[in-house]
Amino acid sequence: MAAHTHDSHAGSSHPAHGALQMGHHHVSSSAMFFNVLVALLILTVVTVAVSRFDFGGANMLIAMAIASVKAALVMGFFMHLKWDTAINKIVFFGSFLFLSLLFIFTLADQATRRMDSDWHVRKPPVDKQWVYKQHEAPAGKH
Amino acid sequence: MSHDGHHSVVIPAPGPEFQPHTVAHHFDTPVQEFQSAKLGFWLFLATEILLFGGLFAAYFFFHEAYPETFRLGGQQLDWKLGALNTSVLLLSSWTMAMGVRSAQTSQKKKLLVYCGLTVLGALLFMVIKYIEYTAKNEHGFVVFSELFGQYDEATGQLPWFKDYHGAMQGVPHGHLFFAIYLTMTAIHGLHVVIGACLILWVMKGAAKGRFHAGYFLPVDLVGLYWHLVDLIWIFLFPLLYLVP
Repeated sequence: MAAHTHDSHAGSSHPAHGALQMGHHHVSSSAMFFNVLVALLILTVVTVAVSRFDFGGANMLIAMAIASVKAALVMGFFMHLKWDTAINKIVFFGSFLFLSLLFIFTLADQATRRMDSDWHVRKPPVDKQWVYKQHEAPAGKH
Repeated sequence: MSHDGHHSVVIPAPGPEFQPHTVAHHFDTPVQEFQSAKLGFWLFLATEILLFGGLFAAYFFFHEAYPETFRLGGQQLDWKLGALNTSVLLLSSWTMAMGVRSAQTSQKKKLLVYCGLTVLGALLFMVIKYIEYTAKNEHGFVVFSELFGQYDEATGQLPWFKDYHGAMQGVPHGHLFFAIYLTMTAIHGLHVVIGACLILWVMKGAAKGRFHAGYFLPVDLVGLYWHLVDLIWIFLFPLLYLVP
């Protein structure tokens, strides 16, 4: 049989059957799926609950941490990634690695740039010759 | 086994209500067919992560730039509808997981029921999204009131997002939040619609008995797609409705 209800894994050796099947697959129990669903719904309530409190700069981190736990549950159990092959895990999690590069450089740019909207609010550094004078607008702005 | 091309590999049907599966001629074994398709699909899902990732990067960039604008913008949306839609998607993700399980255990009727419930979840999600896009709620916002039009410089109104009661008037760069909101939810909604169509296609095959313990590849892959749609929404909900 290709499907066992408990703890069978792709690659376990049953060549006699495997030749005419897609291989051996882990079939999760209904109870496990239900538990994951309950956990996800509870975490949704938690998501809303924590948004009622102001943790200052930690707000975003807390919201994303809870969302990441939910995402891990969906990927690990619903998407069966926990029992998937190493190459599939590498391919999928690799996308998050490259995504983190995009985030790091985007946010590094964000943290070190002056937005157009507040050019007139902040004082330009006086020791830099190339910075426009305070009473002058940058090109194209008014 | 098949390089000689004389015969193809056939996975037998587990019962009279099922069909055998013939492995595509360019694969040697059913295992090879399954693993190849699965790797290809994970690669596709990786590109989906990068597609939405770019939009999330835009969100984080402008959230950092105008945090108060984003907080005010988020308050114009109805978080209750957002939370309801989150629950609908989580439930539909569960029914889809159970559907894949039914295919793996050769339970034809259960597979059809769980897939049907998942499609219902997709419909419900889109109905709630439609209500959000079109209803004038207490703040008087309507998305898609007019899809093609000019940006009104005097009032700062976007053609497709009207602020009837002026709740965001004078808020700097208010349109940025709503542009990101609409782009992200509309592309996500498109995925919901595509996912629902794919699940209907799976149901068509399931009714014919194509999927069983020996062959459930399409059910598995469509299931993965549906879970990805859920995965994206898990991040969209707190970022758009409960702006941190």
